[in-house]
Amino acid sequence: MSGTRTLHVLVMLGGMIAWAVQFTIIYGVTSTLCGRGWADATLFGIGIVQAVIVATTVLAFVPTALVFMGLLRAYRSLEGEDASAATAFMMQAGILINGLSLIVILWQGAPALILPACA
Amino acid sequence: MNAPELPNSFERKETDLPNPLPRPEGEFEALKKAWEPPRGISFITAVNNTYVGLWYVGTAFLFFILAGILALIMRAQLAAPESDLVSHDLYNQLFTMHGTVMMFLFAVPAVEAASVYLLPNMQAARDLPFPRLSAYAFWAYFVGGLVFFGTIFFGLSPNGGWFMYPPLTSTKYSPAENADWWLLGIGFIEISAIAGAIEIIVGVMKTRAVGMSLDKLPVYSWAMLVFAVMIVIGFPAIILGTLLLEMERAFDWPFFIAERGGDPLLWQHLFWFFGHPEVYIIFLPATGMVSMIVPTMAQTPLVGYRLVVLALIATGFLSFGLWVHHMFATGLPKMSLGFFSAASTAVAVPSGIQVFAWIATIASGRMRLTTPSLFIIGFLFVFTLGGLTGVMVAMAPFDWQAHDSYFVVAHLHYVLIGGMVFPLFAAFYYWVPVASKRPLSERLGRWVFGLMFIGMNVTFLPMHITGLIGMPRRVYTYPVGMGWDSLNLVSTIGAFMLAAGVALFLVDLARNFRFAGENNAGNVWNASTLEWLPNGNYNTRSIPSVVGRDPLWDQPGLSQDVEDGRYYLPGTATGVREALVTSPFDARPQYILQVPGPGWQPVLAAVFTAAFFLLLTVKFIFTSVICGVLAVGCVIWWLWETDPGPTRPPADIGGGIVIPVYVTGSMNHSWWAMIVLMVVSGMIFTCLIFSYLFLWLVNPGVWPPQGVRIPGWIWPALSAILYCASAALVAVASRQLQGEDRRKPRSVPIMIGVALLLVGGSSAIDLWSQWQSALSPSAHAYGAAVYAIMSLQIFFVLTTLIMGAYTIARWLAGKLDSIRRTTFDNTMLFWYYTVGQGLVGLLVVHGFPRFTGGV
Repeated sequence: MSGTRTLHVLVMLGGMIAWAVQFTIIYGVTSTLCGRGWADATLFGIGIVQAVIVATTVLAFVPTALVFMGLLRAYRSLEGEDASAATAFMMQAGILINGLSLIVILWQGAPALILPACA
Repeated sequence: MNAPELPNSFERKETDLPNPLPRPEGEFEALKKAWEPPRGISFITAVNNTYVGLWYVGTAFLFFILAGILALIMRAQLAAPESDLVSHDLYNQLFTMHGTVMMFLFAVPAVEAASVYLLPNMQAARDLPFPRLSAYAFWAYFVGGLVFFGTIFFGLSPNGGWFMYPPLTSTKYSPAENADWWLLGIGFIEISAIAGAIEIIVGVMKTRAVGMSLDKLPVYSWAMLVFAVMIVIGFPAIILGTLLLEMERAFDWPFFIAERGGDPLLWQHLFWFFGHPEVYIIFLPATGMVSMIVPTMAQTPLVGYRLVVLALIATGFLSFGLWVHHMFATGLPKMSLGFFSAASTAVAVPSGIQVFAWIATIASGRMRLTTPSLFIIGFLFVFTLGGLTGVMVAMAPFDWQAHDSYFVVAHLHYVLIGGMVFPLFAAFYYWVPVASKRPLSERLGRWVFGLMFIGMNVTFLPMHITGLIGMPRRVYTYPVGMGWDSLNLVSTIGAFMLAAGVALFLVDLARNFRFAGENNAGNVWNASTLEWLPNGNYNTRSIPSVVGRDPLWDQPGLSQDVEDGRYYLPGTATGVREALVTSPFDARPQYILQVPGPGWQPVLAAVFTAAFFLLLTVKFIFTSVICGVLAVGCVIWWLWETDPGPTRPPADIGGGIVIPVYVTGSMNHSWWAMIVLMVVSGMIFTCLIFSYLFLWLVNPGVWPPQGVRIPGWIWPALSAILYCASAALVAVASRQLQGEDRRKPRSVPIMIGVALLLVGGSSAIDLWSQWQSALSPSAHAYGAAVYAIMSLQIFFVLTTLIMGAYTIARWLAGKLDSIRRTTFDNTMLFWYYTVGQGLVGLLVVHGFPRFTGGV
């Protein structure tokens, strides 16, 4: 598989990969901070657990949004060009996957706004 | 060696097919001869996907029936209160075996088996790329599964529930061998599942009809691709879990013993990181089947193909963020539960997308109410109900009420029977005409559906109430007057009705199923996909090029042209079995793969592998080790016949396309398999590092425990240097082995030999340094975790030693040179992986305690 094709796959799955990273970090950090009794620490007046979750959610959301918009633009400019059917398909799939991922990433970070950190 | 440049499009006019008529005399006969299965007793050495696939499906169905009988015994016991039909202990074995056999010996193997049969046909490939691996996976599963099931007759079956939670399953509370049967028996059957997954990934990506680019891939292939990737990511967790629990039971390494720093919750994390994706591992192939059947029955293309693919991929990802919803009652922080609640509800979205796509397809066509259609409608109804109760138990407060009650039993059976068993029966009725000379009976089929559908609902619908009014799962009896009597009796009647449906299906099979190597019943449903092309042991006479997702509808005359040999590779270029390897995205022909044929090697290797694990269970250590050595020997014997090299110049497959019969590097199919194997290995190692960190988290201030001395920096540094030096030597050997002139430099085996000494020495130094520091693996979870990391590394180093020695032997036998170097490439990839894993292991074991300063 060529490097370009590997990149296409990564872009297509980008949002889901971002969600997986977000999920791993927020669960890992919450477990560690709560397990070690460090959850009372604050960062700029916000509880450390909530701060980490919000920051991770933003860090996952922004690149996914950029990839989503980039794919939309690229797909529109593809019309009329001699792209292979597989390439066009991967772009369409990428738009759908990254679009869904945007919602999932926000949804995944939502518990930080509602629940106490370590209760 | 690279494949030639090929034209961009394979779309051709009717008159412009790749191969002209008439075909040369003897071409078809040579093809048939190459793919002929062996006769007599050697028949069991057949590796054709049609034979192995069918045996595999049959065996999985046998386990479905056996586990179903166990369920009937349990239902008979529960039909009345205070019944003494079976004892408490036997009941424990019955529910453990029912769950275990259904999940591990029926559900996953059944969908894998179906794909062994269907995938090559659906993609018009001659066979899967590693037919002997399929045969090995099947025979290991067959022998191991039957022996495992046989334990129920001797009172030796596991009895700790299908998820085997410690401390109940630890030596203290389960000193007998029952738990070991589960740990070793199931652990090794998972290896068989992974072998199948590797086969499926490479098969979907590399062996397709010409022009079947990703946008034209059947949804079933997409589903199987996601399924196989999920196995590769998810199953290593349970393999590691079983290893750790078995090491605890066998050597007293306290991974799960709280008094010595272990934690039983670690098992739950490892188990459910596999266990929840497992539900989708079973469900996704079933949805793939549904997405193939619905368009045929409605006689219209699937609505929302791209959305369905999105749903499959999204489900594959999201299903790995759900595992803790099985642990809502363990006292984890609410915020953590919230993450899993969020993911658990999010995963309902892609599942819903698929359901709406099927309904839209049904609505846009004219659905024929055949038996497969009935099972699909039953699936939609039952699975949707199971999905709804799934959303209910995804809410932590509700889950706390329903946890470990019959409500959960009802929910999981709605999901699994609705989501997997009904689609599988739809698939049986739908695809039997591909494998049989006669289709199954529509009249009997309707009765089968009716009995199963009504029986299923009569059994499990009342269980929601039984659970909500307080009946816990896994109780072998209950007292009179709890209000559970009538509900249980109704459930028992329903279970026997369901069983009657399955029994009637067996009657239908006996009356109508007649295996067809050739001359099957044909395209009785007017389906659109390639498995309905005329086929034989060689699959299709020629390999078609396709222009759409519904080739039999899009390309009239395709069947006849394929059968006449007018498409690609209508004969055999090398005189042996061949598959056409295509590029993973656009499905352009890359090379002709010489596929290994029948042989005793995979059968014997599987039998000895099973014997190794099973004898280990009953502590016949010496015999077990001998069987292990024989298994490795058989694998080497098997491999010796592979990697044939360029046995002839590039061949013309038709349409002016000339492709090689041998390639190396990333285009080679075995390179792909090795990459997948490295991902599996990497996941096992990642889960082990997770376990190490988890144990650190639950042991504040004692990592390492007081009195434990960490070896000085010099030892891991020396070990790391030796690892790197060995990898560098292999890299140099690879450079020496390059060129188009079939060079065979003497320095190559010498460098591999020295590299072997270095990699072995590196591991030995690390082990020695820990041993010298008097670290005990059984005193505390810290020592157990350190020795577990080292043990895994030693296993990989030993495997590298065998592969290195094998590569040297190939060189000495004249089977390795600068062109014929696939064996070397695979060894090199594995070597790099072992070195990388070793370096990370050193960093964690020696660096982490220093970094955290014992915090």
